[in-house]
Amino acid sequence: MIGSFIIGTAIFGYATWALVKFINKSKKGKCAACDLEKSCSSQSQCGSPIK
Amino acid sequence: MFGSFKAGDKGKIVNISNVGRFVQRRLLDLGITEGSEVCVKCILPFGGPVMIESCGQCVGLRRKEACLIEVERV
Amino acid sequence: MEIALIGNPNTGKTSLFNNLTGAYEYVGNWSGVTVEKKVGVFKNNIGRLIDLPGVYSLNPLSKDEGVVTSFFLDEPVDRLLNILDASQLERNLHLTMQLLEYEKPVLIGLNMVDVATNRGIQINTEKLSQILGVPVVPVVARSGKGCDRLIEVISTSSNHSKVKKHVYYGKAVEDAINKISIELIGKTEHSPRWLAIQLFEGNEYVKGYLSNLIEDRKLESIITQLESVVKQENSHGKSLANFIYLKRKEMIETILDASVQKISSTVPLSEKIDNIVTNRFLGMPIFLLCMYLMFMLTFDWLGTPLSDVLDGFLTGPVTTGFESILNVINASDFIHALIIEGLVAGVGGVLVFVPQIFILFFFISLLEDSGYMARVALVMDRIMESVGLNGKAFIPMMIGFGCNVPGIMAARTIETPRERLMTILLTPLMSCSARLPVYALFVGAFFAGQKALIVFSLYILGIFVALVLAKIFTKTLLKSETSMFVIELPPYRLPQVQSLWRSTWDKGKGFVRKAGTFIFAGSVFIWLLSYAGPNGLKVDMDDSFLAAIGNLFAPILEPIGFGTWQAAASLITGFLAKEAIISTMNIIYFIPENASLQGILSDFYTPLAAYSFMVFILLYIPCLATAATIYKETGSRKWTAFAILYALILAYVLCLVIYQGGKLFGLV
Repeated sequence: MIGSFIIGTAIFGYATWALVKFINKSKKGKCAACDLEKSCSSQSQCGSPIK
Repeated sequence: MFGSFKAGDKGKIVNISNVGRFVQRRLLDLGITEGSEVCVKCILPFGGPVMIESCGQCVGLRRKEACLIEVERV
Repeated sequence: MEIALIGNPNTGKTSLFNNLTGAYEYVGNWSGVTVEKKVGVFKNNIGRLIDLPGVYSLNPLSKDEGVVTSFFLDEPVDRLLNILDASQLERNLHLTMQLLEYEKPVLIGLNMVDVATNRGIQINTEKLSQILGVPVVPVVARSGKGCDRLIEVISTSSNHSKVKKHVYYGKAVEDAINKISIELIGKTEHSPRWLAIQLFEGNEYVKGYLSNLIEDRKLESIITQLESVVKQENSHGKSLANFIYLKRKEMIETILDASVQKISSTVPLSEKIDNIVTNRFLGMPIFLLCMYLMFMLTFDWLGTPLSDVLDGFLTGPVTTGFESILNVINASDFIHALIIEGLVAGVGGVLVFVPQIFILFFFISLLEDSGYMARVALVMDRIMESVGLNGKAFIPMMIGFGCNVPGIMAARTIETPRERLMTILLTPLMSCSARLPVYALFVGAFFAGQKALIVFSLYILGIFVALVLAKIFTKTLLKSETSMFVIELPPYRLPQVQSLWRSTWDKGKGFVRKAGTFIFAGSVFIWLLSYAGPNGLKVDMDDSFLAAIGNLFAPILEPIGFGTWQAAASLITGFLAKEAIISTMNIIYFIPENASLQGILSDFYTPLAAYSFMVFILLYIPCLATAATIYKETGSRKWTAFAILYALILAYVLCLVIYQGGKLFGLV
């Protein structure tokens, strides 16, 4: 019984954290699946936006 | 004119100023300007782009721009 | 210490970057893949190395070139590492001269000496170093040869160039430079000479910078005065910018005369390959053949068999393994269902596609690394031109087949804003790798005999729709006359197995990581929504919260063939990430051991409906990450919203046509 409880909490806890992190990363536009972001310290130098 | 060139023809650029400003600038960056010797590598069908080579450097550009480049045959 | 790595595109900068910093970076072989500023730390920790995008000149033409100019104006840099392509010295030196004028310590890495030797070009590095007044170190970036020496020299040499004035531009220009220099005394840390020369060459960024320091009128008058003098003195009537260019060119020729010898000339292998690949008649067919082979390998020949093995493993040993553990610890029904029906189903359902994904990424990497991508742009340009686009736009689209996000970012190399915007808007129509699992699932269930063909048809449909829309957009929303197409075709390279593998692994790794994080999380919550309902826990799926949400939207989907809550719920999750669609479906249609998913699906879809569903997924909406990237790249809420809306409408209308039309023809 206690085992179930621990497993359950662990899973839900991790899931919530992963979800929040993913949504935040996605919003920033970096490819959530892209590995480049670790070594890519890009400061947005995009210049003037397209009107 | 470049337009009548076929694949394998070589020429020396005499006048490039009729070409669009941006294209001219880009070609310049790549080292292609008046006095450059270029060779036509291939011409794509249906009015498609051409590939030209200058000093070992291959560049692709649109046929209608290429036609504006004045060349004398070599 | 901040060191900037700068050079022409395709000079092997990124290979060198990897060798100097020990960090692996994604390397592509056509003009402009390195479009973002990357920073690494030197192997021996002497400082940071900043990899700037490849540029031909500090006077920018396209947006990514502007990044470099802005960098030089606004950001601190201590030393410059200029990498040159030894086989293209004349062209490369134009940038070098501008860098030397910037008056910061410069070190030159002379790369690709092997290519030069092949072409019969021999360079006297000492002489070159002497004339330029800076150290010149030959390297072979791909193998790392010479890099140690390079690091050694960077650490020690802090001297500015021993040569003070590199190019003499003639009295008129030099006088004008002096005038500007006087105006700038005490106002700037940058070299006034450099600023003046860039100004006279027409560098808008520098002009903007200077107008904050010198009164506009004064600036203009100096420029116009100089322009008229130059026009007078020169019979050709050339512009000021051109005059400066020619003076520089003269100097470069002198330098080359002294330090470079040309021995013989042989036809490089690259040209021989190009004779076939860009041949009038063979060019397009060869490209289509390559695409076809790519698909056959990904689906029929290699990908699916491997995938099936993985599937067997997950539904067999892994599931039984989990079952045993759960039984041993006496887990509750809730946990049992959560793990088996939620996690294993959801995450496993995505993981089985790892083989196909990796194969696909491998081919994209191969196309890029080898240099073939640039040829594709050339071959496709005619078609692209006819719809108002640019051959260069095809490359972001090809990258988009892997993942839309880097595809959209690759659009930065397109010089005209209109074409760039259109490319950004249309790239999401390219079927990304995350949509693959859904296709694989459905073709397996309904079109087993023609798997590759059906999937191929979807990819082609995406391209076709994109082209048609491009035409429509060009005629309506995004009218414009300007279009520019000049593309550098770098020599073919045989991709090194190691770099190819790492390139593939990096891309594929992201897929697996996403499975372990987002898909994991998503599966947990989707499963929960399917397990609980208004009436409590462990309800029949049809009475769950998930069904309730799905049922809200199901009626809309009826006319296009899949008006079920299951389809609706799956599609909603697809907005966050397309892989989630398959996870959701796997959880919803959870299969007891021996039954097959194909069998169950047949209860809910007819083959026609299945095809309609796949087309819907192909088109309906860019995922969250893609939408955010569109916003970042366009800077416009309006266009981002447009991208989302037009996709929804397009998907619905097209599916309507397919499904209802198909029914009319009795294709059900």
